[in-house]
Order: sequence, then structure tokens, then C-alpha cells
Amino acid sequence: MSNLIFSSVNKVFGSGSSRYVALENIDFEANSGELILVVGPSGSGKTTFLTIAGGLQTPTSGNVTLNNEAITRLNRKEQSQLRLNKIGFILQSYNLVPFLSVKEQFTLADKVKKTNISPQDLDQLLTDLDIISLKEKYPNQLSGGQKQRVAIARALYTDPEYILADEPTAALDTERSAEVMKLLKTLAHKRNKVIIVVTHDMRLKKNADKIYQIIDGRMSLLK
Amino acid sequence: MFLAVKEMWYEKLRYSLVIELIFLVSYLLIILTGLSSGLASLNKAAVNEWGAETIVLDKDSEGRLAQSFLSNQTIRSTSGTPISQYSSIVKAKSGLKENSTIIAISKHSFIYKNLSVIDGKKFTTKGTVLVSDIFKTAGFKIGDTLYLNNSDVKLRIAGFTPQATLSATPVVYTSFTTIKPLTRGTINALLTSKKKIKQPTNALVLSKDQFINKLPGYSAQNMTFNFMISFLYIIIFIVISIFLYILTIQKLPNYGVLKAQGIPTKFLTLNTLSQSLIISIFGVIVAIIFGFITALLLPSEVPIVINIANIISTSVGIVLMSLFGSIIPIYQIAKVDPYKVIGG
Repeated sequence: MSNLIFSSVNKVFGSGSSRYVALENIDFEANSGELILVVGPSGSGKTTFLTIAGGLQTPTSGNVTLNNEAITRLNRKEQSQLRLNKIGFILQSYNLVPFLSVKEQFTLADKVKKTNISPQDLDQLLTDLDIISLKEKYPNQLSGGQKQRVAIARALYTDPEYILADEPTAALDTERSAEVMKLLKTLAHKRNKVIIVVTHDMRLKKNADKIYQIIDGRMSLLK
Repeated sequence: MFLAVKEMWYEKLRYSLVIELIFLVSYLLIILTGLSSGLASLNKAAVNEWGAETIVLDKDSEGRLAQSFLSNQTIRSTSGTPISQYSSIVKAKSGLKENSTIIAISKHSFIYKNLSVIDGKKFTTKGTVLVSDIFKTAGFKIGDTLYLNNSDVKLRIAGFTPQATLSATPVVYTSFTTIKPLTRGTINALLTSKKKIKQPTNALVLSKDQFINKLPGYSAQNMTFNFMISFLYIIIFIVISIFLYILTIQKLPNYGVLKAQGIPTKFLTLNTLSQSLIISIFGVIVAIIFGFITALLLPSEVPIVINIANIISTSVGIVLMSLFGSIIPIYQIAKVDPYKVIGG
């Protein structure tokens, strides 16, 4: 059973007159099988929350545990290892490697993790995201939406326990957004993943098991 | 290596241009190193062939053989094989001529024993000479009579010997009696195969390397070549640094995302090191091939020596400079903060 817990987490940037509280006293819990939406306006602290959850930043105070292990106590190398093995990031800036074809974007993960996912599993994932026909294409041959779906597939490919998504549907139309959210929901429910989606796209609300809202760094449970 | 190869294949034009640049600089480096070795060899080949470790010269000679005139007292008090030196233009009736250094040695000396013969035989009687194989290349033959400028002395070629050049002139070996009319019995130096000898009075004792470094123009020539060669190594370092730095700066957002996904920094830096290695190895291989072809096509008068030792040392130098050139890009990759790429 996987879980991600924030206990009294604060994140403050700067000091003195330039002091800015990005997150204030955040308590949060996500468990296996849950698709959680974190909504809020731009600049409310959503991405800061997500980057702390993924071990890319450390909180100013408070504790973050992943499977009951405090990730704030891990060193950089251990945090990197954790992200590689347990966390899949779907980022707003999808930044696919420009000189790798869609298929090779996944080979890269195999090379680093020394795993070899079966071609059938990869094809199934690409079919689910409707990008199977793009396998041999390079990022500069894809539309924004296609790139985003490849980025999503890349995050899901290594079958991580946790999926942290930052505006995953920003470049997608309504139909595609619904498909992606449906896929994430299926993954959460059928494969027991912890999925946290940070967004200001309120169209995604209906797929979430829980919805949190962040405004001015303060988090509240909406649903 | 995976990322390195894929990127180079995808950006064929960009990478082939930098490989071409490294090839051109490496080619120039190989040619200059070859010329440096060749000219150095022309200056000192004979000294190496003699097998002497210590050379005794007149104390006022400044280490120059031609300016050294040993006194009888020094000769009597010092053990060593004497040599006499005389410079002259040597001509044959056919019109062939060579600016040469005539060296007189004893038939019983270790120098005489150390000389090898590629054609004919060593000098044995008065008036016979063993000459540098450069004479053979120039068209001289065994039995040819040689005439010296402003002298009645006649010499007959008995054989040819390799590696017989001193201060970039071919050497003519003969006996003391043969050149006595020219040198009037002057002994210029005493040579010994011992590394250390008792310091004679009024004499300058030099090791072989010290003697070679004092050959006219030798040090200045080497320093000039070394300066040019060092500069080319620096150029390789700068070219690789700038090229990989610009490419890395362009790819920093990608590196940030890859790091966010947990791809280790080590994997990414090894990729840059691999690219540097591939660029330099490709550039060097093509440069070596062109270097050998150039050495074959150049006329024999051009003193270029491209040998395995030179090639290995130059190649290792180029590859090392290329790897050093990837230090700044690697530092850029190491300090990329994935959080800054993602924003927040």
C-alpha cells in the first residue's frame, strides 16, 4: 500500500521584505488507488506542492513521507533514485528529447533502469494514448497535443507507484483531456497507483476521487 | 553512449562539421609533430648512432663541436675516443654536391663499431669514406670520388650508413689521416660511453642530451615547434569546449526534465564525455590517415617522421584535450536544477 503524506509543511522563499510564503501549514494524504486533483489559480503554490512531493524541493519546515519514508531526509542521489524507481512525472513543459524518436524516448528509460518492458506492453500504452502510429516520429514532427501524450506515456512507461502530473492536459482539447483523465483514473483504480494531478482546468473535476484547493499557499479539501 | 550516438546521428551536419574541424587541427598537429621529429632527427641522428653518453669539449667552445679545439694536455689526461670535425661542400665529377660534415674517427673506436652499413662497407684505408645514405638518395654511388671545396683532398665512397646527419647535414666518416691536411690534426672532442667521468681541467663535459641541445639552432627550432604544437592542443580544447557548451546550453531544459524523472546526472555527463570522445577519435583517425598519405606524397627532402610513437602520443594528447574540453559543459549539466526547469 503506497501513500504520500504531508505533515505541517511550509515553504518560504526569500527573507525580509522579499519573503514569500508559497505553502503554509499543508497537511495532505494520498493513498494507493486514488486520483487526487489539486486545483487553484496560477501562482497559488500548486507546482511548489508537486515539486516537494516529488523530492525536487525540500520544505522549509514540516515533513513529507513516501511509503512512510521521509523523503526530506534523502540526499540528492537518493531522491533521484526515488524518482527514477517510484515516481512518474508528467510536466507542463513536456520537453521530449529532440533527437530521440517516440520509441527511443522509452528506450532511454530502459537504458537507465536496466529494464526491458515488453513491446506488447509499450504498444498497449501507446494505443491507449492513441499515439501508436507516432512511434518512429521525432518530437519536431508532433503537434503540441501529441507531444503531451508522449510525455504522459513516458511517465507511465516504467510503471511507477506514484504519478505526479503538472497541468497534464494543458495542450489537449476537451476530448483528449477526458481520455487522458480516464486513463489516469483507470491506472489509479485498477493498478493501485497514487495519482496527483495539479491543474487549474476545472473540466477534470469529475474524474477525481478527492479534490484539494490551494489558494495563497493554503490547502483545503473540496471533495 | 546511447544518447550521444543518437544525438550525433540526428544532428549529422552539426557534428560532422565539428569532427571536420578537429580533423583539420589534428592533421596540422600530426604534420607539425612529424616535421618537428624529422628536423630534430636530422640534427642529432649521428650523435645517437655514435653511442656516446659523455662528450668532452674545449671549455670555451660553448658546447659547439666546430668551435672546440682540445689541447694536448686535455687529450692526454682524459680517457675517451677522439673525433675531428670539418665542414665542407662535397662534390662528385657528375656535378652532384652535398653540404656535409666530415667526422674523423678511429677504426678501433666504439663509434666505428656502432656504425651500421646499408650498402658497401666501412672505410678501411686512407682516402676511403663511409657516407650518409642521403648521398645515395642524391645519386652518389660506391666508388665515386668526392672532392672538397678549396682542397686537394680526394675521398672515395666505400659504403653508405643510415642515421648519419649532424646539424641537418649528412655526415662523411673517415680516418684521421685522411683529413689531417684539412684539420691539421685538431681533435674537437673526446667521446665516451660512460655516463660519468672525472672532470678534466680546461674542458667542458656534457651529457649526450646537453650536447644535442647545444647543437646550432636545435633548441630554438624545438621551442618554436613546441609552441605551435601546444597552441594547437589549446585550440582543440577551446573548440570542443565552445561546441559542447553551446549544445549543452540549448539542451538544459531537456536535462532538467530528465533529472526530474530521475535520470542520474552521471548518465547525462557520461553522454557528453562520450560525445567528446567520439568527436576526437573520429577526427584523429581521419587525421592519421591523411597524415600518412601526406608523408608518402611529400618529396624525400622534407624531413617528416610520422611513426607509431608520435601518432600514439599525439592522439592521446588530442583525446585528452577533448575530454578536458567537456568539463565546462559537464559542470553546466551537473548544476541544472530540475525545479527551475519545471517552475513553480
